[in-house]
Amino acid sequence: MKPVFAFAAALLLVSVQAALLRYLGGGAVSLSLALPVVVYLGLFAGNVDGAVGAAAVGYVLDLMAGGPKGLMTFLAVALFLGSRLAGAALSIHGKTGFAVITAVGAFLFGVGALLLTRAVSPVETAPGFGLLGRVFVDACLTGALSPLVLLGMRRLDGLFAREEPGLLR
Amino acid sequence: MVGLLKRYRELILVCLLLVLPLGVFFAHAKHPSERTRLDRVILALTGPIEKAIGWTISGAIETWNSYVGLRGAHARALALQHEATALKLDQLELTRAREENERLRRLLGFAREVPDRRVVGARIVGVRLDPKGLQLVTLDRGAREGVARMMPVVVAQGVVGRVHAVTDTTSDVLLLSDRNSSIAVRVERSRARANVRGTGAPDTCRLEYALRSDDMQDGDVLVTSGTDGVFPRGLPVGRITGLKRSGQGLYQRADVAPAVDVTKVEEVLVMTSFDRRTDEAVPAAAAHAAPARTAAAATAVTGVGGGEAGPVPAPGRVTAAAEAKP
Repeated sequence: MKPVFAFAAALLLVSVQAALLRYLGGGAVSLSLALPVVVYLGLFAGNVDGAVGAAAVGYVLDLMAGGPKGLMTFLAVALFLGSRLAGAALSIHGKTGFAVITAVGAFLFGVGALLLTRAVSPVETAPGFGLLGRVFVDACLTGALSPLVLLGMRRLDGLFAREEPGLLR
Repeated sequence: MVGLLKRYRELILVCLLLVLPLGVFFAHAKHPSERTRLDRVILALTGPIEKAIGWTISGAIETWNSYVGLRGAHARALALQHEATALKLDQLELTRAREENERLRRLLGFAREVPDRRVVGARIVGVRLDPKGLQLVTLDRGAREGVARMMPVVVAQGVVGRVHAVTDTTSDVLLLSDRNSSIAVRVERSRARANVRGTGAPDTCRLEYALRSDDMQDGDVLVTSGTDGVFPRGLPVGRITGLKRSGQGLYQRADVAPAVDVTKVEEVLVMTSFDRRTDEAVPAAAAHAAPARTAAAATAVTGVGGGEAGPVPAPGRVTAAAEAKP
């Protein structure tokens, strides 16, 4: 998958997510629909395309998060690498496997974000570990909805995939 | 060397993509940089999508409420009529109280102009209460409607937050529940000062810099003091809960239940101009006599729909009782 499509998909997903969350709890819970895109890149894209695509998705997340730039980009590339390793070690084909790996990845992504933000923030603005509960719920919801993103990404990949000429042609 | 680079180019690229953003993050963590032109362009792209989805869902809900939900409308109309009658009586009483207030104020010689307060009505089109980032909501009004950074955002119940970033057509509001948000407040009952800081969770804030010697109790109402230069004084912020006064240290600790449930807010008011006087600027004697400011007096509202709307409840009235305290 070309990085630009990953970028466009992430931009669309974060917009849809922000609009939908207004009606679904008004922000009482959150989710991260762009993270399944990174996991998808980790499992199914090439090394270069995937890494650049993950960085592009991370840039979108950085913009939406509103915090100091670079944090989400770093974590997205790290999640890409983690997904790639998990994909190599485990056989992940179905939706359930994708959902589980996305949920775990989203949780680790959230914990990483909290820890890194804590490391650089003044004591009074540092995020507390009380937010871990919200991160966990966020990860579970993201995992639960990730099969839908997987479906969309497969469609998108199908639209732009070029048929390789067979050996017998 | 070139051969080595070619051989490991993928690995080098991935390492660069990991190291560079981390470097940028650590470099900008203490002093966050402004959004670039590219950032603003990309953010502006998300606005129309959020608005379109919002309109679609709102339209569907309104259609449902208008047509399908008409069952029982007659009974509801009757109940509302009763309520309107009761409210009219209340209004008459309030008008009488206001007139009396005006008379007393004139008598005391502390009559002062009610300052102009201009607000822009806006609808929330996007919610980003992500524990990993800032607690933001996106409004459908931006620089074109006069919204600018640091403007206070309120509803009738109290403070929602302040404008954090603006594009031409949308603006992001940093909610009071964000951990970077700190609001100067006073206890309405005792006039003790403190700060309210967000925790990152939408339903809890915490009290900071509340001196141990200050008179505070669980359930005390906190209102803005106006000393932070962002919020006008007298807006409700929240209620003290779980007050802990330890045996040592300068400060007492407490949680704050926000006056506004940010997860349930749909429309807000952005205060584009208001009286910037702080509590300190109000002479004590005047404070004793300061009446509740009524909303209708001098509040100009640009409605959510863009036109002039009716008066809004003035959160400033909450301080009236409090200012009478020494």
